Amino acid sequence: MAAPDAAADPFTLAVIQSSIAAIGEEMFAALRQTAMSAIIYEVLDMGTGITDPDGRLAASGCGIPTFVAVIDKAVARVIALHGTAAIRPGDLFVTNDPHFGGVTHLNDIVLLLPVFADGHLVAWTGNIAHWPDIGGMVAGSMGADATDIWQEGLRLPAVRLFEAGRAVAPVFAIMRANTRLPEALEGDLWAGIAALRLGERRIVDLVRRYGRAAFAAAMADAFDHSEQTSRAGLRHLPPGRHSLRDTGPDGQVWTVHVEIAPDRFTVDLADCPDAAATPYNLSRDGAVIAAQMIFKALTDPGQTANAGSFRPLTVITRPGSIFDPPPHAPQGLYFESRIRLIDLIWHCLAEAMPHLLPAGHFASICSTVLSGLNPDTGRRFTVVEPQVGGWGATEAADGISANFAAGHGETFNCPAEIAEARYGVLVGQRRLNDAPGGAGRFRGGRGAVTEWRIRAPEAFLSVAYGAAPRHPWGLAGGEAGSPNYVEVDRSDGGRERFTVATHLALRQGDVVRLVTGTGGGHGDPARRTLA
Amino acid sequence: MTIRVATDVGGTFTDLVSLVVDPATGTQSVRIAKADTTPPEFERGVMTVLGKAGIPLDRVDFLAHGTTVVINALTERKGARVGLITTEGFRDVLEIARGNRPDFFNLHYRKPPPFVPRHLRRELAGRISFKGEELTPLDLSPLPGILAEFRAAGVQAVAICFLHAYAEPAHEARAVAAVRALWPEASVVASHQITREWREYERTNTTVLSAYVQPAAARYLGRLKSGLTEAGFGGRFYVMQSNCGVETLEAVAETPITMVESGPASGVWGAAALGRLIGEANVLALDIGGTTAKCALIENGQVKLSSDYWIERTRVTSGYPIMVPVIDLVEIGNGGGSIAWLDALNKLHVGPQSAGAMPGPAAYGRGGSDATTTDANLALGRINPDYFCGGEIVADMPAVGRALDALATPLGMTRTEVARGILRIANNNMVNALKLVSLNRGYDPRDFTMIAFGGGGGMHAAALAAELGVRKVVIPAAASVFCAWGMLMSDLRRDYVVTRVADFTAEKADDVAALIAETQQRAHAMFAAEGIAPSQVRFDVYGRLRYQNQEHSVEVPMPAGPLDAAAVADTTARFHDIYQRHYTYRLDVPVEFVGLHLVAAAEVGKLAPSPLRPTGRTLAATVKGHRSVDYALEGAHDAAIYDGDMLEPGMRFMGPAVIEQPGATTVVHPGQQVTVDDFGNFHIQIAATEG
Repeated sequence: MAAPDAAADPFTLAVIQSSIAAIGEEMFAALRQTAMSAIIYEVLDMGTGITDPDGRLAASGCGIPTFVAVIDKAVARVIALHGTAAIRPGDLFVTNDPHFGGVTHLNDIVLLLPVFADGHLVAWTGNIAHWPDIGGMVAGSMGADATDIWQEGLRLPAVRLFEAGRAVAPVFAIMRANTRLPEALEGDLWAGIAALRLGERRIVDLVRRYGRAAFAAAMADAFDHSEQTSRAGLRHLPPGRHSLRDTGPDGQVWTVHVEIAPDRFTVDLADCPDAAATPYNLSRDGAVIAAQMIFKALTDPGQTANAGSFRPLTVITRPGSIFDPPPHAPQGLYFESRIRLIDLIWHCLAEAMPHLLPAGHFASICSTVLSGLNPDTGRRFTVVEPQVGGWGATEAADGISANFAAGHGETFNCPAEIAEARYGVLVGQRRLNDAPGGAGRFRGGRGAVTEWRIRAPEAFLSVAYGAAPRHPWGLAGGEAGSPNYVEVDRSDGGRERFTVATHLALRQGDVVRLVTGTGGGHGDPARRTLA
Repeated sequence: MTIRVATDVGGTFTDLVSLVVDPATGTQSVRIAKADTTPPEFERGVMTVLGKAGIPLDRVDFLAHGTTVVINALTERKGARVGLITTEGFRDVLEIARGNRPDFFNLHYRKPPPFVPRHLRRELAGRISFKGEELTPLDLSPLPGILAEFRAAGVQAVAICFLHAYAEPAHEARAVAAVRALWPEASVVASHQITREWREYERTNTTVLSAYVQPAAARYLGRLKSGLTEAGFGGRFYVMQSNCGVETLEAVAETPITMVESGPASGVWGAAALGRLIGEANVLALDIGGTTAKCALIENGQVKLSSDYWIERTRVTSGYPIMVPVIDLVEIGNGGGSIAWLDALNKLHVGPQSAGAMPGPAAYGRGGSDATTTDANLALGRINPDYFCGGEIVADMPAVGRALDALATPLGMTRTEVARGILRIANNNMVNALKLVSLNRGYDPRDFTMIAFGGGGGMHAAALAAELGVRKVVIPAAASVFCAWGMLMSDLRRDYVVTRVADFTAEKADDVAALIAETQQRAHAMFAAEGIAPSQVRFDVYGRLRYQNQEHSVEVPMPAGPLDAAAVADTTARFHDIYQRHYTYRLDVPVEFVGLHLVAAAEVGKLAPSPLRPTGRTLAATVKGHRSVDYALEGAHDAAIYDGDMLEPGMRFMGPAVIEQPGATTVVHPGQQVTVDDFGNFHIQIAATEG
């Protein structure tokens, strides 16, 4: 068939590009099928990626969009820390620390493998997955009370897990010793490693088939193609500078400025407050991902994302701020800040272009962690899951009901039948939330209500349901939606309602009610016409 | 005289294959025919094709039938109005679904709407635990009121799905009986009649969709059966299922959703049956039609099924689950009618949009201005413009030229270069799909023989095989009606998938053994009701095993004998091996049993095809001529053109060549050798490639 290194005609490049995309998806499927933790295989709180030798994102498996752009940042950090010369075939790196390329929080383990073909570094394969426990002060590792990062678990500072093909046994041993769920860790770790090696084999085959030069040319061409697609989309946006201020539950004011020019999209977060001794800090890379989400949704909502897609985007942060925090700052609940930041940039622009963006959605991961002993098996269980909620209406349609938040994508809820068997809770109900809100010419979608009756003698609940107690915003005259919250009906008759809790003790017979909000409405409710 | 007939209703054509055996001499004759599909009265096309083939219906003793009536009712939204009755607190499960958003950068994502609106989703109190124990008794007292409201709202079919009914269906069975008693005219189905697997959204949706298609399917099958009876047919009538088996009319009418993928299933089953006939146990089946290409893997003669099946699921929308055993295949929007297009930045793509039958490829001359894969094949001389669609359509070559120019001009290329590009991109899409069923699941395509069929199978198979390292391609003699051929080779088959979680240890093995025995009894009872003795029923038993705490399980064959400690150890070892093959590693943690997959099959008078007798015709007599054929990567070559219907067993020739038949064209690349086997199938030997 084709001679290796044949002149890279556009069809050869297209064939290589679609093969790289297929490899990304294959890695994703492999990780999903073999992971040990429900948060990975069911919720799909994971991502996979392939980068060029310098860490420029070439392809990502589907999954969580805010995980798509983690791998490239992690690779860049590994290269900066270790130097290209020291990276050898058979190496495999692990990191989870935002200051060492981990981007998110310590629960998210990033594995990176340099791919060599005929002695040359040609690419990296990587994946990131949320492990249910990595030690720290609370089960599940994400405590709302954490005041520094050491309370959030084991820090893995971009070290080798394999060196020239040999496992670095002490690192494995340290990891095993620092989790409450060592069996899950072992399974998740091997699932991640296997997926990377699978991608490695496929990439090596591809490079052998078409040659290194054509492979590199295909990646470069893909970057240029995506950049041009983004720029074409950017030119369709109305130029201008937009600002929005938002006061959080802690009284701190977040300010975002977005400047849209024909060739540049700038998100300026420099006016945001200082980092705090709370787990709501977000690494600079994490803030960039929030900006990337909205930039991509506005310029090119298609699924292909690579390094080129984001070339016209500039994000400005201030070192020492909540979006560019110092190394010791805790980040366990970073995702609530990131979804709130996505929501803030979204809101800022939606006011200016209500035809291009929907009204506000429930804007929270609604992270829910429940741990205890399964009363049927006696084995420890840890539920770690986000919740579905209501989305805002658009200019042309009602909002969708009961879907995961904007930072999520191919994320799946856990069936009640499986939850009952695995966790030993009784799911009392799972229905749409009928709370009023979100009226408009087009109505906000409904949130959801899920009830767990605790069957174990005791269990512990940690939740983070939106850093802001406000309701999803309406647009163009539409009304605000309804809030997210959690209620506990105690078996002795008491009732508690809250949005944040850490390690709240529950007893047999208590009922936990997880409630997510209705999205914002779009347009004047008086103009609503029933189809 | 024994006459067996299969008819397959496809999107465009209704196909027929019949096998007639003279018991005295043992001589067989095969007859094939095609007629137009006639929506919405599909039975007309069936009667037409039976007439066209001259089948003496009064003498037919076996008739298998495949139909798209179910998938059509679903995709065209032409089913019944359904009311859902479910467990208290869970009526919105159908709308909440799984909450995923595959089009993840799109903030305007639309969630697929449920098939039952909220006001027709009702609840009854009553709970069963995941262990199958009753927690709260079923309260049927609101049922008369619910049904009265359903009637008033025009509901025609009732779906019932309760939590954990897979473990204990008693509540569902009582509700079904009560609905039947209160409202005998309505059709009613409960989840346990269709599946015994957990996951309430998937099971509820499956039940709803079965109810949705039930009246239409029953009407269609009823009309067909009476049409056949009026025409004198008194033999056994079977309907093709998505699990590669056939089923009785009575069983299908109750849960018609199991027919949803019967067409593709019969094609893959045909490939497996053909593989057994010609001694190929490991097969990659490839079916290229007008709008899609489908591929599946057959290992040791066994097809693979999955109950993780979804309709309308694409890269940008989540679709709807149907939890029934369906042939495990990968389908991509890449067929003969797939449109080649340029994006805003002049990058060439092929599919998934299809020109369909109307207007069809530009070459149809029906006003289609988009270049399709078929047009590229014509432009490159791979399809004969003078023998297009078996000579039934005059290829509009000026239209093909114009369609290719529309792509070539912006790209600054020639028509030929663009046509080659279309072919390469289309082929690469199919290579990626074939990798999904092979490499992606731990199988090396070099260990498999490709059996390719459908209108475009032979056109692309040789190039795809070379790219994947497959050494041999087989194009069946009946390639153009291969799905109908597959039905003719089918058994009466039932798949029982039952969720039951247990530690897989010698101590707990009795529970598993009891489950197997209980399920086998259920199967025997069903077969016995149709007059099939237990001795005629063959079982294949698979355990769904996983590492404790994992979710996704692996199917492992269970031993035939007693499940003692040694058998458990053997099965566990086999699990580790299969797991490692698929996922490259193994773990030292306890193994868990999650469920049973029991395959129960009974032969219903299947016939083994017998070899053809050569007439002594010379190879030269089969050559229609020569023409220049462009092989894309290998450039243009002068190729011999063979009349496929004239080729006889034992004939042998080298590529470059093209084999033309009325419904199929086979492209043979330079250096590839073709041999015609005893049954008239073409075997293409692919030269070993580097890498």
